[in-house]
Order: sequence, then C-alpha cells, then structure tokens
Amino acid sequence: MTHSTPDSEKTSFTLVITGAPYSSQAPQTALSFAKATVAAGHTIDRVFLYGDGVHLASALVTAPSDETHWPKQWAAFLEEHEVPGVACIASALRRGLVDSHEQKRYQLGANNLLAPFAIAGLGEWVEGSIKSTRTIYFHAGA
Amino acid sequence: MGMLIIIDQPPYGTWAGREALDMAFALAAFDQPTSLLFTGAGVNWLRKAQDTADIEQKSLEKNLAAAPIFGIEAILADRTACQRYNLNSEAMIDGVQLTNASADLLGQYSQTAFAG
Repeated sequence: MTHSTPDSEKTSFTLVITGAPYSSQAPQTALSFAKATVAAGHTIDRVFLYGDGVHLASALVTAPSDETHWPKQWAAFLEEHEVPGVACIASALRRGLVDSHEQKRYQLGANNLLAPFAIAGLGEWVEGSIKSTRTIYFHAGA
Repeated sequence: MGMLIIIDQPPYGTWAGREALDMAFALAAFDQPTSLLFTGAGVNWLRKAQDTADIEQKSLEKNLAAAPIFGIEAILADRTACQRYNLNSEAMIDGVQLTNASADLLGQYSQTAFAG
C-alpha cells in the first residue's frame, strides 16, 4: 500500500538554501527535507540558493571519493522531479559563480554553473514566497 | 500581515545582514508588505554616524536609510537587545520603533525570514 496525501492537504514549498556545502549541513538537510516532501505527495515549487548557498551550484566542486557530492546529488534531484533550481545573481557573482551569459557580460575567463541550476534575480525568491504554501530556509546552522 | 525580515547579524564582519536587507528591498520592490526587525547583534545596524573608514568598507547606514524609499513599512528593534548593546534613542537613527522580539510579534506576520 502506498502512502498518499489527499489533494486538499497537499502543500507546495519554496526552499531557500543559504549555507554552503562542506562548510555547513544546510544543503544536506534541505535535500533530506525535499525528498521527504516529494515522497509524501507534496511539491517543491523551486529551490533558491542565496548567500553562501550558491556554492551548491558550482560545477567545479570536487569532493573526495568517500564523501557525498552535494552539488551532483542536488542536480540529480532537481532533474528527476523537474524542480527549478535558481542561484541569486548578486550572491553568485560576488562568489565567483557564473554561467556563460555572465561570463560574456563581464568578460571572464570561464563559467562554472552546474546544470540544471540557473542564475536569476531575487524576484524568483519573491515569486516563490508568494506562490508557495510555505517557504523554508536552510541556513548555515541548519 | 506581510513579511518580517529579521536581521540578527552584526552590520560588519558578515555579509548575511546585507543580503537579508537586499531580500527586504526586493520584496518591497515587488509591492509586498515588508518590515524589518533588528535583534541580537543586529541592532548595531541602527547606530547613527557609523564610521567605516578604518575597515575599508562602505557604511551600511545609507543602505538602511533607503528603506522608506523602497517602501519598507516599519523598522523594528528589539528593546532588550538595544539595552544589551547600550544603544539608546540618542545614538539611534531616526524612525526606529522599539518592540519585544517575541513569538507574538512574529505571529503577526504571514512569513518571517532570518538573515542567516
């Protein structure tokens, strides 16, 4: 028997991750929450990376082979469940996370945004916090 | 009753408070009713005449002064935290309302978010 949640009790979430992988547990805690949410029949509207959380979207993260690769784990989750993952542009640029568009605009030597993450403004977070039933924050202490 | 952004981080030494202020301004720019609450070490944001020349950073006083222009509804400060940091009304920028950062206060808002 599968556990299912009636439509009337379904909740939609926007997740905001502000803690970086490997210096905080925030991305790991958020991923556990996201998986449990989907398993219970609820939806994740979007995941927004803010502040140090943008490091989760770096394609250059190289974890030791005996440690979990949190950017890849998150990328796989986003693709499997077709959840948009967005890194705040102001946070990202400050911390050296750029896509090809920003690389061109600022004439940088490389880009390093991991698919399927995208870079966008805080408006994405505002929209999420308006549309979703709940917005949950995963900070460095989480 | 709108969103409360809670800044509990000091103005200098971490970027978390600045990024929380940007969140508040973004909400207000999208016409979402937004208030700010400063508590803990965050009340140091509210000091008048911040001189940041020695640490080679921009003073955040100007950033915060833009709050009413962006449409931030209220700037609140936790009374106990102000006392702890010896921040009296004379040392504080204008337009701050003293309050108690309690569950009752937070319960008045539809959403709350901490700086980090």
